[in-house]
Amino acid sequence: MNLLPHVVNGVALGVLFGLLALGFMLIVGVMEVINLAHGSLFALGAYLAMEIISPRWLGAAGEGFLALPLALRYGLALVLAPLLVGVLGMGLERAVRRTYGKKAEYGLLLTFGAALVLEEAIRIVWGPGEQNLPVPDSVNGGFVVGDLIYSRYRFFAAALGIVLMALVWVFLERTPYGARVKAGAHDSEMVRALGINISRLRVFVFAFGAALAAIAGIILTPIWGLRPHVGVDAVIPAFLIIVLGGVGSFWGAVIAGQLVGITVGITGGFAAEWSMMSMYLLLIFVLTFRARGLLGKKSALEA
Amino acid sequence: MNNHQVTRGMQFTGAVVLSIALLAGASCKKSSSGGDGAKPPIVIGITADASGQYAASGDSDRRGVLMAIAEFNAKGGVLGRPIKWVHLDTETTPATGSRVAERLIKQDKVAFLVGAMSSGVANAISQVAQKYGVIYLNTNSSSPSESGENCHRVKFVWDGNGNNFAQASVKGAIGKFGKKWLLITNDYGWGHDTSNGTRKLVTKNGGTIVGEILVPQGTRDFSATLLKIQQYSPDVVAAAVGGDDLKAMRAQVGQMKLGSKYAWINNQQDWPDVYGLPRTDLFGVFGTTWYHGFDLPGVKEFVARYQKENADSKIKTPGNVFYNGYWATRSLLEAVEKAKTTNNVAVIKELEQWKIPAKDRMQDHDAYMNPKDHQLQQTVYLASANLDSTNPDDLFKIVSNTAPGEVEDKDSEAKCKLEAYEATPAYEP
Repeated sequence: MNLLPHVVNGVALGVLFGLLALGFMLIVGVMEVINLAHGSLFALGAYLAMEIISPRWLGAAGEGFLALPLALRYGLALVLAPLLVGVLGMGLERAVRRTYGKKAEYGLLLTFGAALVLEEAIRIVWGPGEQNLPVPDSVNGGFVVGDLIYSRYRFFAAALGIVLMALVWVFLERTPYGARVKAGAHDSEMVRALGINISRLRVFVFAFGAALAAIAGIILTPIWGLRPHVGVDAVIPAFLIIVLGGVGSFWGAVIAGQLVGITVGITGGFAAEWSMMSMYLLLIFVLTFRARGLLGKKSALEA
Repeated sequence: MNNHQVTRGMQFTGAVVLSIALLAGASCKKSSSGGDGAKPPIVIGITADASGQYAASGDSDRRGVLMAIAEFNAKGGVLGRPIKWVHLDTETTPATGSRVAERLIKQDKVAFLVGAMSSGVANAISQVAQKYGVIYLNTNSSSPSESGENCHRVKFVWDGNGNNFAQASVKGAIGKFGKKWLLITNDYGWGHDTSNGTRKLVTKNGGTIVGEILVPQGTRDFSATLLKIQQYSPDVVAAAVGGDDLKAMRAQVGQMKLGSKYAWINNQQDWPDVYGLPRTDLFGVFGTTWYHGFDLPGVKEFVARYQKENADSKIKTPGNVFYNGYWATRSLLEAVEKAKTTNNVAVIKELEQWKIPAKDRMQDHDAYMNPKDHQLQQTVYLASANLDSTNPDDLFKIVSNTAPGEVEDKDSEAKCKLEAYEATPAYEP
């Protein structure tokens, strides 16, 4: 009986981890760029959402907006902030474009530089201290199951995560545009030869990945707290999950998110001091037996 | 989507590039004061965190140090020498702390080192400082080990420590809330030292420790911890969790409204960590050494000075971290003036006898340096969230104040073995 609450908690946590890795997975899978700015885009999404929910900078003009219910403003932020970050993602893709076809280090350095710039910009605009991203009262508080209280917001966030993952899956697997994205990841030269504008496709994918990072930020920062360097907390598990799941694999990211969530949840309950380390041990364990990750494609290095 | 060219080689390269970039970044994050005086300046090396877990507090710490320096420069410096400063980011990382301290001493030729938030970083810096004989002020790290087993002749500790706060709170809390205590401990030096102090006091006062949950540094998800707390069902939860970990825990406790379900005894809450947060996140009783809302002489003027000189800060009122940075630096410079020299042993001897009247320090009781462990003994306050106010700056309600003599940390004093004066290298910048 003591185990079950931690497993349930781990499953919910796993969905959030999966959501965190989704945008990262998309950009790596299609663009072959490890986007180290993923964490900063995650943080920026949350900060922009905070500004949309409470636009104090509007002064008296914003009072009418502030009178609207928080749930409405939150919903609006959940749409607008990712769009804004998506536009920024398009700009970032323009910069990254120069590194296509070159060694991977160029893309890495560029996105790492972008991450530093973004984090510093956040610090300048919003200060180094802790901020608060408010969530509607209807999803705040706890609910009782047996003798235990669970966070209502956490399960709301997990449900939202499942919906988003389903939408991404439908987009990739059931739409012509998704088919182009996948084809672009498989063989970009062939896709170009077939008359599809691969450059535009890449801009779209980068923007989409950035927007997903922003959504993850909006959903997760009410749990983790919001500060300029919160992106560092996001980028490391996101990277770990895509490597564990197999780089570029949608289902790999989802399954790896679940595995990490359940592992962290159970160790958190029974050997809390190992809870952070457990995800890295899991990674070592899986990669020892399956170097390409759970659902990664076999590489030329493997026999 | 499964076909791609990202290999483990690329991932490894990524990690290497990241490490190099971080190192390069650290070495570039330097700022300093300019200008030349007629006499050679006294240079203070500021070792406050500008990134990492304690970045926000490090910023406040640095501002406090700078305000004290500005005050002395306005009246002509110290011993007729202008005071300059160099700041390097210690990144809340002990290894960086050591490197930064070495560089400040050997390359920038600083006279003193000032600044700390993390006990690990402070310990690393002080080992380097002791090697060269450079006086180091640990302004804001509150681990008992800093004035205990990790004490040094050159190091002076200016914050109240975990044992001071525990002594101020444990006895009263057992009587008021109950005997079943659960410890939540950040799994590093400060957390363990603080929880061990609490454990001893709880046991001594007839309470029982029903369990201890260790929280690794960097934890962002506390759901498993919160479930365990409920499974233990304690009367009191004593949390020794700091920095960003505390912020994440607080947000999650507030979200589940568990703050009112148990009696929470939190250790010190640093002002930069709570500033701007909703009051619901500020649950339980917690410690502090200073609050801008004190009705004591000099407080209003101090706040006004802070606001004038820190108009660019997002934190509109000074807190305990700023206060400690300011007072540590001010006391050091006053000690140099009194010693009439920058010779390290002479200044150390002054600081070991340092006393600050309550009216100057804007606290309820006089403060004094303990010469046996180099920790400043000062008034310890307990506070809770001020739910009667909506003013974003008026966050605390002071519950009690305890005179320094009643909360002395005898355990740390017993563990502290200061190096002999003769064993400390002479240093006269």
